[in-house]
Amino acid sequence: MSPTPLFAVALAEPPRAPGYGLPADVSADGHLIDSLLHFTLAATAIVFAVVLAALLWAVIRHRGNRLASYTHGTRGSRSIVVGSVVAIAIVVDGYLFSSTVLDLRRHFWNFDGVEANPRTVRVEVNAHQWSWTARYAGPDGRFATPDDIVTIDDIRVPVGAPVLVQLTSIDVIHSFYLPNFRVKQDAVPGNVGRLTFEARVPGQYELACAQHCGPNHYKMRGVLTVLTPEGYRQWWEEAAADAARAYDPDDREAGWGWEWRRF
Amino acid sequence: MPIALGDHGVGPAQSPPGVLRSLADYRGRDRERQEITARVGMLVFLGSWIMLFAALFFVYGSVRSRAPAWPPPDQPRLPVLLPGVNTGAMAASSAALAVAQRALQAGRHRACGAWLALAAFLGATFLSLQLAVWSGLWRAGLRPSGGTYPSAFYGLTALHALHVVVGLVALGMLAARARAGRAEQLGVDLWAWYWHAVGAVWLVLYTTVYLV
Amino acid sequence: MATSADVALAEAAQPIHPEPTSFWRRYVFSIDHKVIAKQFLWAGCAFLVFGGVLAMLIRWQWGFPGQKVPLLGDVFLRGTGGVIAPGTYQQIFTMHGLIMVFFAVTPVLVGTFGNFLIPLMIGARDMAFPRLNMYSFWTFLASQLLVVASFFTDLGTGGAGWTNYAPLSTQVGMPGMGQTLVIVALFVTGASSTMGAINYITTVIRLRAPGMTWSRLPLTIWALWLTAILNALFVPVLGAAALTLLLDRHFGTQFFIAGASAVRGGGDPIAYQHLFWIFGHPEVYIMVLPAWGIVGDVLSFFARKPHHWYRGTVGAMLAVTLLSALVYGHHMFVTGMSPLLGQGFMLFTLVISVPSMVVVLNWLLTVWRGSIRLTTPMLFALGTMFVFGVGGLTGLELGDISMDLYLHDTLFVVGHFHFTMAAASFTGAVTGIYFWFPKMFGRQLDERLGKAHFAVTVVGMTLVFGGQLLAGYAGQQRRLFDPYQYTFIQGLHGLNRNVSILAFVLFAGQLIFVWNVAKTLLGRARVAGANPWEVTTLEWTATSSPPPFHNFDRIPFVLRGPHELGDAEVKGLTGRDFAGQAEVLPAKSGTAAAGGG
Repeated sequence: MSPTPLFAVALAEPPRAPGYGLPADVSADGHLIDSLLHFTLAATAIVFAVVLAALLWAVIRHRGNRLASYTHGTRGSRSIVVGSVVAIAIVVDGYLFSSTVLDLRRHFWNFDGVEANPRTVRVEVNAHQWSWTARYAGPDGRFATPDDIVTIDDIRVPVGAPVLVQLTSIDVIHSFYLPNFRVKQDAVPGNVGRLTFEARVPGQYELACAQHCGPNHYKMRGVLTVLTPEGYRQWWEEAAADAARAYDPDDREAGWGWEWRRF
Repeated sequence: MPIALGDHGVGPAQSPPGVLRSLADYRGRDRERQEITARVGMLVFLGSWIMLFAALFFVYGSVRSRAPAWPPPDQPRLPVLLPGVNTGAMAASSAALAVAQRALQAGRHRACGAWLALAAFLGATFLSLQLAVWSGLWRAGLRPSGGTYPSAFYGLTALHALHVVVGLVALGMLAARARAGRAEQLGVDLWAWYWHAVGAVWLVLYTTVYLV
Repeated sequence: MATSADVALAEAAQPIHPEPTSFWRRYVFSIDHKVIAKQFLWAGCAFLVFGGVLAMLIRWQWGFPGQKVPLLGDVFLRGTGGVIAPGTYQQIFTMHGLIMVFFAVTPVLVGTFGNFLIPLMIGARDMAFPRLNMYSFWTFLASQLLVVASFFTDLGTGGAGWTNYAPLSTQVGMPGMGQTLVIVALFVTGASSTMGAINYITTVIRLRAPGMTWSRLPLTIWALWLTAILNALFVPVLGAAALTLLLDRHFGTQFFIAGASAVRGGGDPIAYQHLFWIFGHPEVYIMVLPAWGIVGDVLSFFARKPHHWYRGTVGAMLAVTLLSALVYGHHMFVTGMSPLLGQGFMLFTLVISVPSMVVVLNWLLTVWRGSIRLTTPMLFALGTMFVFGVGGLTGLELGDISMDLYLHDTLFVVGHFHFTMAAASFTGAVTGIYFWFPKMFGRQLDERLGKAHFAVTVVGMTLVFGGQLLAGYAGQQRRLFDPYQYTFIQGLHGLNRNVSILAFVLFAGQLIFVWNVAKTLLGRARVAGANPWEVTTLEWTATSSPPPFHNFDRIPFVLRGPHELGDAEVKGLTGRDFAGQAEVLPAKSGTAAAGGG
């Protein structure tokens, strides 16, 4: 594997978003969601504009007419209603439905594909009030063993490799949300949820909690650091060494990991 | 000049075309209409109330389907015999209630009262047997805090039993009224529907909680 | 075919009772549906103000985070020096949602209009079960008192969001009696709704005046009836959710508790969500259907022509009612449900948008080629169309799983439901208040103030809720005490602050309405005639403003549908462009009395 030149390993601060508009998309698949959003906004804006224009026309043009056009609706006008609705449903809803089914199967919920990929990085995440604890398998390649790497509010992944997250909570429902990757999954106590994404651009991005989980819900912010493959390998080795040194068999709370769940 | 709508907005001819017959002819029939209205209302109420239990059974099914083993191996088993007797008691109680309804239709108030009392007695039997089941399980160590299995059991049976209590009170009052010769068909019929519904819920409960 | 004999039967079944004389029986413990309607109105409006103040606190926190709240801070937030603390903040947004949904909009839309209009519009003297009706109000009032009581507990009121997701809403997340009282209040208000629903459903089935067939019912009544069916079927599911949650909180059960707090095996927090949303989605249709019905009738009345394709609209409302419980999973797309189930819910969600579009297009075609009278109710009805259009269309982004992966639990959802529920339901309710005010109180609200109120409200709501949509589109999550902890949200501070200022203006603008009502009721306003709007339905054409205790001197005999406006033949016969539903038209030469509809 050739070294990846020129990309900064980590930026000091996540990019400050301009405010309006979608956050920067640094994922491999986020553009699918973005294009659906743009399509839907455009389609609904057009429908809205047409109906609003017709409404304004009707109100202004016919204000104070002598006598209204007495009709309960003709065959023709009812057909206009049915026809428009069916057309919009087929074009807009049909496109949304079929695109989404494909997107979910191929990308966002394609967990089997990601599991089978040899480059996949696996992370277990435990959400709790009010931080994110993450766990990597360590040199033995298995979770819930003494050599696991455990981090707090700090998830690191290499660029260009799929990441598979298994997710739970020990107290209340939280939600693992990466705005720059357009993905989100609830962390439910008693459940193991799954989430997958792949980063395209190195840098630091925010991990947010998207489910009200108590008074400090607003502070449950983590950082996702996307490193070059080199940088990631370097970090991983250091962290593994640290983990071996820091392992404390008597620390019950640190033992929240589970053997990687096979679904 | 538009024709005025008049004091109450109806046009000049207040009554519809045709001759209005004397109201006295219809005195007997208005009570029938009011009774039908009461029955419709009771049916709507029962439909609504059934949804409460349907939702509870949904939760029960949901937690049960997620459990690795049901019943969990370390929890006391639920008895089948006593609750089975209870099922018989509820069925007999509903049957007695149906006989009471028939008796009242035939005008036999005292007989109706007796059958109502029997239905109430069978319902009370149900409650005492249920209490026995509960106390036995409680002493064997089945507590609500022991997980979803006892939670579902105690929750469902307790809520059902509350409804049995309500029905018992009603049956008791109706029985007393019937003995005094003052029972009304409508009241007995409506509470009979309630009681049959409570019995039907028990049947589902017995099957899904005790048997299966 | 209804006959005069049916009128006699109806008269016999609903004899005229003497009006109560004592103050208590007339105004407090009244079984008169018109009085009970007003009781719901005042109780609901009081909590509308309460919920609105809580909203202003939320907007303050987003616009001016960490700063002392003017006026209210000194009174209610003394413990923290007038500043909102994170624990208080979660209580504020929780109770804002709960109060608005259950204790403000529902009593006004369903309690007030259902109670007032159903007997009057179908030609009955009262509800089928007048005493049950009275109990339903007092039960509701008890639930409101429970809400108030919850604020005075040690740990304060509930704080788990209006949705009360477990385990946060169990002792794990929310210990204390306040949260418990809130759940009990939910159960009690559910009981009230169910009692009301039984009354509404039975009354429409059994007490329609002779000739008032199902196809001659005003759309308002169809909507209220379908709303009542949804209430009767699905409020008990909320009851089950509340009951099991209470069992988990106080009786040691473990239905929804899992994770470290679960003793053995553990419950399923998602089961709570299923229960809640099986209720919750029909609930939002409960909140919007009455608005649809009112708008449908009002548009027809002030376009002076029949509602376009009445049957299509009724069919659409029926379809929405039937489908409403089948779409509920779209609130749970990111909980980890099976993809097949999720896609099923997505399909139904897309399908349920179809009847909504039918309703909107029928509204448009009702107005088309009408003779438009831009009265205040008409303006608000048009405004409801507008805001519902925005709200409904933004539902598409949320009903699609892919887009929902990004938009779930952001302010985009908040904007969507504020446009549909806070805007459309509210403006629909206000349409109804302006329209039926003369019938309820015998006086007409000031038109100029009404138009000013319309302008402030519709423009204000569009800007404020539009601002929520924008913030959510940029990714800001819901329910954040301090959103600017996140770098990606810091750029939205300006937007949020401006929207907050607009929200304050919108809230203050409602004072125009309060002033209008106060002035009209307490001052020397013009007394309204029986039918000041010149429309067709029975409450306007068959009785006075306000109606007497027994509603109708004679039970009306209905001859035609509710929207007979703009018929040139009628104009020729009577000189006006509408015919009352029970009006006997003078016979044309050679033909029988005009009827049909």
